Amino acid sequence: MANLYDSREQQPPRSGLLLLQACILGLFCVFALRLWYLQVHKGEEYAEKAKENQLRQEPVFAPRGLVLDRGGTMVAVNEPAYALGLVREDVKSLDATLAEISRITGTPMDKLQDTYRRGRKRVKPFEPMLIVPDLDFEQVAAVEANHLRWPGLEIVVRSRRYYKFGHLLAHVLGYVGDASEDDLEKDSSLALGDYVGKNGLEQMLERRLRGTKGVRQMEVDATGRRLSESLIKKPKSGEDIVLSIDLGLQATIARQMEGKAGSVVAMDPDTGELLALVSAPSFDSNAFTAGLTPEQWKALRDDPMHPLQNRATQSVYPPGSVFKLVMAGAGFMANMLDPRETAFCQGSLALGNHVFRCWRRGGHGSVDLEQALVQSCDVYFYKLGMKLGVDRISEFAFAAGFGKPTGIDLPHEKGGNIPTREWKLKRFGQKWTKGEDLNFAIGQGYTQVSPLQVARYIAALINGGRLLKPNLIHGDPPVLQGRLPLTDAQRAIIKKDMVATVEDPRGTCRRVQTPGVTAGAKTGTAQVVRLTDELKAMPEDKIPYHMRDHAWMAGFAERGDRRVVVVAMVEHGLHGGSGAGPSVKTVFDYVFLGKGVGPVPEVPEAPDNNE
Amino acid sequence: MSPIDRRLLFHVNWPLLGLTMLLFLCGVMNLYSASGFRLGEGMSVDSFYQKQLVWGLMGLCGMTCMTFFDYKHLRTAAWPLFWITVALLAAVPFAGKTIYGARRWLDLGFMSFQPSEMAKICILIIGARILSMEKERLGFLKLFCILAVGLVPAGMVILQPDLGSGLSILMLLGGLILYRGLTPRVFKTALVAIPSLLPLAWFGLHDYQKRRILSFLDPATDPLGAGYHIIQSEIAIGSGQFWGKGFLAGTQSQLRFLPEKHTDFAVAVFGEEWGFLGMMLLLTTFCVFLYQLMVIARDPRDLFGSYLAAGIFFYFFWQILINMGMVLGLMPVVGIPLPFISYGGSATLVNFCLIGLALNVSMRRFLFKQG
Repeated sequence: MANLYDSREQQPPRSGLLLLQACILGLFCVFALRLWYLQVHKGEEYAEKAKENQLRQEPVFAPRGLVLDRGGTMVAVNEPAYALGLVREDVKSLDATLAEISRITGTPMDKLQDTYRRGRKRVKPFEPMLIVPDLDFEQVAAVEANHLRWPGLEIVVRSRRYYKFGHLLAHVLGYVGDASEDDLEKDSSLALGDYVGKNGLEQMLERRLRGTKGVRQMEVDATGRRLSESLIKKPKSGEDIVLSIDLGLQATIARQMEGKAGSVVAMDPDTGELLALVSAPSFDSNAFTAGLTPEQWKALRDDPMHPLQNRATQSVYPPGSVFKLVMAGAGFMANMLDPRETAFCQGSLALGNHVFRCWRRGGHGSVDLEQALVQSCDVYFYKLGMKLGVDRISEFAFAAGFGKPTGIDLPHEKGGNIPTREWKLKRFGQKWTKGEDLNFAIGQGYTQVSPLQVARYIAALINGGRLLKPNLIHGDPPVLQGRLPLTDAQRAIIKKDMVATVEDPRGTCRRVQTPGVTAGAKTGTAQVVRLTDELKAMPEDKIPYHMRDHAWMAGFAERGDRRVVVVAMVEHGLHGGSGAGPSVKTVFDYVFLGKGVGPVPEVPEAPDNNE
Repeated sequence: MSPIDRRLLFHVNWPLLGLTMLLFLCGVMNLYSASGFRLGEGMSVDSFYQKQLVWGLMGLCGMTCMTFFDYKHLRTAAWPLFWITVALLAAVPFAGKTIYGARRWLDLGFMSFQPSEMAKICILIIGARILSMEKERLGFLKLFCILAVGLVPAGMVILQPDLGSGLSILMLLGGLILYRGLTPRVFKTALVAIPSLLPLAWFGLHDYQKRRILSFLDPATDPLGAGYHIIQSEIAIGSGQFWGKGFLAGTQSQLRFLPEKHTDFAVAVFGEEWGFLGMMLLLTTFCVFLYQLMVIARDPRDLFGSYLAAGIFFYFFWQILINMGMVLGLMPVVGIPLPFISYGGSATLVNFCLIGLALNVSMRRFLFKQG
């Protein structure tokens, strides 16, 4: 054909034509060889596989890891539950089958259709779709009895989470629920109807707690009846977790907190392990497993007492006088505090045209650091605050771990707030004023801390200055997050003054004295509203509940090498000593005197399906 | 529009036309077998083969239309076509219909179509136009310019997201570039660079795509998931053995074990029922079919025609390679149909039209250029 072309250049590229031929040849050779291999060489084998009448595989649920308390008592376990599975390839008539399911289980038809529609995309061929997650015994029997009339329906055994102490550990453990569309999108190993942790440790340790599903292989005949089955991959249950929580202590505190709102944290200062984390009021984790009705969910969410809120980690409050312990540290860090130096308190301090009052109208007279802490004198700290100024105070507060989350393994932790000049400018567009130094110094104003942050700080004061990550897993190595910028001597002074606050007859923490134990503490009240003169004149028990001050107490106790740090925050508890003191005392009594509520009653299981 | 004279008819590449018809009829017959029962929802799919026949008839009309004009006009129309396609692709995010979570369709009122299909044809024409003007093998600069032209529509398609179509646009262009040839230096660089870029591409893949690749490497890791398709497909084909189980007797297919058996995995049904013998005949038919396209590329009237034919060659070659590779378990699962064998509406239409274009090139091979 060469004569057709104007010139050599007009010819199709020879290399290109060769390439096309090579492509054809390669295609032929590769596929011919592969076909030979599949159909002739291994044909017998495949024919056998095909004849073996069609093996089916379905997942075998793996139990979720158990959760135990530090003493080895199981707190979260699994119980068998029965779900109704639907194999859509086997169903003869979908609508009739759904109607039958609706008749047996009482589930409304539109809900079934909705589940089916959502599940259809999510199940693999011949895998049962969990159309009704929980059947009782009669329903199981009814399905089994009609098995032949309704091909494609089968009972799937799986395990359901059961929290043996319902309310007691709800804020620690959280709860599980059905995997949502969102979860399924994010995690390919999940299937419709799987449980996933939705809050608390269940959520944060999902990866460790969730097992790996196994695979069961079955032979079925053409109608979908099973001829035999075998496990080809064993399910692997999730990892068991041992909590740092002491169930007895947790229960004892919970009993003491009944009818109150607030939180109590008990921590081992040397390891950062939390021996108790109580947030009151609480809720029942088990309610979520079965799936809450929208009404139940609404009631929980809108409850004015906010039972779902973890008040130890997700609530932040002004620290009140507890902050004086931070002020002492800030003074030491700046080398501007001599503990022997006294200041004179006459009941108030004037700054400009504003009068800052001490809580004690008559004044404390001449006080040094120890007495200022023992009697919680405001004027002493006003003066210290003026001397230090906002920058030095906030610098130390940050170094002490305030103003950011502690990193505990619980979701949605709040970091609180430590004000700085820049923060105020950004937030309000105003400059920081001298008067605010004074408010800052006594823990009022913009400062917000969580009980857990306070516990970590107190622990650092007595454990050699180490800020440890609050830990809920027993035996995990302590995680060092920072060190207090204080010398041993300086920490010893603050510790000694806390002990004085408990032991001195004038001390605000007298009520937590415990025989044979060295205890130290500090009280605080956090203003909820600025009380009007009219309210101030009222007897305390007449002030409306929601206007009463919050009560704080933070402290520690030790005997030999047994030590515990406790922080109690009782909302609207009025005074640190009387409002939060009893909770702290409860912990000391349990840990050092063995006074507890005794064996903890388990909540009855959900009505069992097998009886 | 030049009148069709007898000389034109005389030069038509009849073998290609015959092979196309043969493949298409094989496909319809196979679909009849593959759809002789119901799917899950009680939905009867008996009509698949009938629908495919209707699409085929429409395809024949399209194919005929594609032979009426002199293909040289495409050369003139290449750039305008390119910009129209880009404009349509750009319109998809705003005016497109969302189907299965991806916006790929434009609704024209009477029918909806995927601009990505049009983009493939358009790349073929523009690629043929640019490359047929290159006198030399491609150096670095030329290569980058041409790739840039292709990356515009390909990138837009990938963002729809339709990774499969986007990659096939790039592979089509890649085939054409290789057909033109690269300077040895560029060729060596590409040999080194492309494999080293693959790990990077891994991070751009969606989770499900990674799973497919991993399960392809070891189907046993996920026997219920992505590995299922591959295992079932191998069982279906392998169990056909040498002679096959006979028409309509494929148990794997009849017992609903094979997924997607009328679309992507249609050829597995064929393999089960016709065995090694049937598959070799089918493979040979495909190879001769490709050979005829090569012949058209070899003896055209001008270079533009040669490149058009080469482009059409690669369009079919990649699809055959990827689909059969997947069905035979040599490649990860990617949703690419087998030309003329898999059920598909617009794909069948496009396939026939491109064959029409190839015939167009072949029948005008003795017409001298006028002017």
